[in-house]
Amino acid sequence: MMAQRIANVLRMEWAGMARTPSSLLFLVVIPLLLIGQALFLAWILPAFLSPELAGIAPAGGENLDAVAQFRLLILEQFRFFILLIPAMIANVFATLSIVEEKVSRTLEPLLATPVRTGELLLGKVFAGAVPAIVVAWISAALFVAFVALLGWGDLLTYVVSGSWYLSIFLLTPMISLLSFVVGVIGSSRASDAKAAQNLAVLVVFPIFGVIIVQVTGLVWFTPLLTIWLSLGIAAVDAVLIRLAVRLFARESIVIRWR
Amino acid sequence: MIEAKGLTRRFGQRTAVDNLSFAVGRGEILGLLGPNGAGKTTTIRMLAGIIAPSAGTAEVAGLDPARQPERVHEHIGLLTEAPGFYERLSARRNLSYFAGFYPGLDVRQAVAHALETMGLADRSEDRVGTFSKGMKQRLALARALLHGPEVLFLDEPTAGLDPEAAKDFRQLIGELKEDGRTVLLSTHNLTEAELLSDWIAVFRSRLVALDTADALRAQQFERAIRIRLAAAGDELAAQLDARPFVRGVRVAEDDRTVLVVHLEDADRDRPALVAEIVSAGGEILEVAEERRSLEEIYLRLVREDES
Repeated sequence: MMAQRIANVLRMEWAGMARTPSSLLFLVVIPLLLIGQALFLAWILPAFLSPELAGIAPAGGENLDAVAQFRLLILEQFRFFILLIPAMIANVFATLSIVEEKVSRTLEPLLATPVRTGELLLGKVFAGAVPAIVVAWISAALFVAFVALLGWGDLLTYVVSGSWYLSIFLLTPMISLLSFVVGVIGSSRASDAKAAQNLAVLVVFPIFGVIIVQVTGLVWFTPLLTIWLSLGIAAVDAVLIRLAVRLFARESIVIRWR
Repeated sequence: MIEAKGLTRRFGQRTAVDNLSFAVGRGEILGLLGPNGAGKTTTIRMLAGIIAPSAGTAEVAGLDPARQPERVHEHIGLLTEAPGFYERLSARRNLSYFAGFYPGLDVRQAVAHALETMGLADRSEDRVGTFSKGMKQRLALARALLHGPEVLFLDEPTAGLDPEAAKDFRQLIGELKEDGRTVLLSTHNLTEAELLSDWIAVFRSRLVALDTADALRAQQFERAIRIRLAAAGDELAAQLDARPFVRGVRVAEDDRTVLVVHLEDADRDRPALVAEIVSAGGEILEVAEERRSLEEIYLRLVREDES
């Protein structure tokens, strides 16, 4: 029954999303902006390449010319930019999830059904995280296609590596879950969507941290490190889901929202 | 079906519900009356397993709402004060969502039946946002009835409805009672409460009175006979006042042809009273028992409690 109830919440959330064209537009615009930004930087920045920056190719790209090496460095970062996609989508969808129930007064009749808090919250989390993950994967595919179309196909041999696959198919889903769990916690604790968004935006900062660490070369995200990072975030996800259930104060939500 | 024993709920220093005890049997309706802020909604929430009591216990459909809320939810229907729907979605989609949480329920059939019963089948695909208040309220009752609950909690079901919609709604509630469902009805509408309820509970954080409407009437007001005469009854009143079976007589202030007579025994002495008036030359147009409204009973109880 648990899976059935979670699926019920999920279907309802998706039905709501489908009825809100602005939310669907948001799902398209954010990834396109990020892809466009990454490709633009990969195109424009090598023009400003200084001699000091020559020869900073990521591992494996040492035999490329200086411009290609620099472009490769930029393109390699895209897998981390992809992590921003679920985080930003969560900031809009997850933060509204419970607040909207409060505003529309649907929470009390919902809590009078046999649904358990965990089922409700997991449904909300997956309803946002699944499309966000799919959008992130489509974005990765589009990115690869655009890189090939721009004539940089030879660089894909280096970009689409083991780390890339791990980052896209393991790290991105974990970050996506993290973003949505934090967003739902924010939504259940906040008095309005704005306050929930202020909390959920905190997820973006560690992702920026990862990007900065990678760009500056302080830590290179090898396949092993990506796996460890993903597992670490998965553990945090599990803890946060339990915390979300504990923090979901049914009573105060029902009593305060009159 | 519903039983509360010493049910208490405190919010910080404030006691919203204080030591409430009552029981409602299968197929009965209990009307819960009380001023705003009396704790009626809090009581319903505790019994429905949405909030926990600070003290005391409850049993609903044989289950403890504080310990087994999800099990209790399988047996109850709750009509909240605000209907609360996903307004961008259709009536059918809304009901399907709520129905999807009940184990073993044929969602499609349950939703179709609920929409049909509430007369909303022809609007089932319309967005709830386009519904009138009355339609939303009917849809909310449809939602509460989806899984065929034995117990229903109705919080202000006719508040804000136009007279016709309110009448339709009362008829629906009456049909639920005929179906054998137990109903706890919280309302400010005293006529509605009297029409529908087997039991009336007057409540102001604590239970002020609980009985049938007639019993409360008898407890609060002495029975009196109201006699309408063809002419002013001042002289006759003085004569009647001297009779041994008459405890008191007054002439109605707004109509001097009406006498209000208190008898030693309202049933036994009524024929003697009529005979006395006729023999004294009085011409009787109407004899009826003076019936105090539930509003009068309620106001007296609340004022007594305040003082």
